[in-house]
Amino acid sequence: MVGIIQEQHPDRCKLFMQWKQMDWPILVDSQNELEVQVVPITLFIDEYGIIRGQGRRASSAAEAVEKFLSQTFYPPGRLVSTRCAKPDLDQLKKSTASGSAASWRTFGTSLVNWAGPEMYGVAINAFQQALAIEPGHGLTHFQYGVALRKRYDSGQRMEQDFQDAANEWSIALDINPNQYIWRRRIQQYGPRLMKPYPFYDWVPQARKDIAARGETPHELLVEPSGAEFAQPSRSFSAEATPQENPDPLGRINRDKEGFINVEMVVVPAAVKPGKAVRVHVQMRPNVSIKAHWNNEADDTEMWIDPPAGWEIDQRRHKVGIPPDAAVSLETRTIEFELKVPDDAAPGKITLPFYALYYVCEDINGVCLFRRQDLSISVTVVK
Amino acid sequence: MNKMKVIVAGAALLAMSGVAAQADPPKFAIGEPFPDLTLPSLEDGSPASITVFRGKKIILHVFASW
Repeated sequence: MVGIIQEQHPDRCKLFMQWKQMDWPILVDSQNELEVQVVPITLFIDEYGIIRGQGRRASSAAEAVEKFLSQTFYPPGRLVSTRCAKPDLDQLKKSTASGSAASWRTFGTSLVNWAGPEMYGVAINAFQQALAIEPGHGLTHFQYGVALRKRYDSGQRMEQDFQDAANEWSIALDINPNQYIWRRRIQQYGPRLMKPYPFYDWVPQARKDIAARGETPHELLVEPSGAEFAQPSRSFSAEATPQENPDPLGRINRDKEGFINVEMVVVPAAVKPGKAVRVHVQMRPNVSIKAHWNNEADDTEMWIDPPAGWEIDQRRHKVGIPPDAAVSLETRTIEFELKVPDDAAPGKITLPFYALYYVCEDINGVCLFRRQDLSISVTVVK
Repeated sequence: MNKMKVIVAGAALLAMSGVAAQADPPKFAIGEPFPDLTLPSLEDGSPASITVFRGKKIILHVFASW
């Protein structure tokens, strides 16, 4: 048994394998280099590397496996397995002098696979070069998005990386709407209306079961976000009873000092009338001015009041504070979903909202209550 | 992994992939070699390829943990 996975975050599969006590070799194809369009696919491959069969109906599955294992495809011979090595990145870089989009794309995927997070920026540049030559190449847009999201999850993150990744995946899917691996990458972070399944809701149970066996669960590089746990829904769950606006007159002092940096990502990047988007809001203390969350106060809050015709799953959101620290620096995340009116005109719609939070100027500095006025842009398309 | 375990596990994977396999790309055509592509291993990120299993039959499952 051998596996190839098609996930943005391969370490989650490592946890899954540990949970299920499966130990077959797994290869990681986060960048969809094999260009598979759907999963799962099961293939029978003979001793010479030739594909001999594919997934069959469940009723005959056991017989199909048994038949494959008992068959001889070639006369027995001396077969030597091939050793594999990392590609020569210097050589791949030189090959980009050919000016072909494929050479830039290969350089980019190889950097993502083999060069480490500090080279994600170079990989991203390689994909940009490939797209400058061949702008309509869906796989390159997808791989560019994968690299952007990987950089976003690394210490090299740039503020726009996640939104740019979502944009690139949308472009890729627009080029090839039958590519379900690309579609899943958007759905993973997208609204409940577009999700086929929750994606990573199994993680808490896996950790619990693994710990119960006396093992330590594999650590995850990035914890699944709310979108990755959210259950799919066939209809938009609009808030039935609107909650109270915590600062309707805007009396709370604004965060003019920039204590908290706020980043917003809309998934999918463009939406049709009647469809939904999921908005990811991440708030981080501005470490360059030594700002910290003040935890000896109330929760961080956010209020969104959508314009007429737009629906929202929840207007008022709260993020709890860590229990044991007076101040902290963690990223606070809020996600919400918006449904575009059925009669919305195409264009970019800006929706205002705001956040309320308690911050301290430094660990032992002055602590303040501040409001930050924010806005997101949702692109409506026909 | 003994033969019976392989049959059971392989059959379970096939049961899951029966529909999805209808839409896979032509590069996975029966009778053709599986693409020779070096990818990172999940175990430790080291280079890995299907070619290292030459001489052995493989039940290859392309999947995701979601």
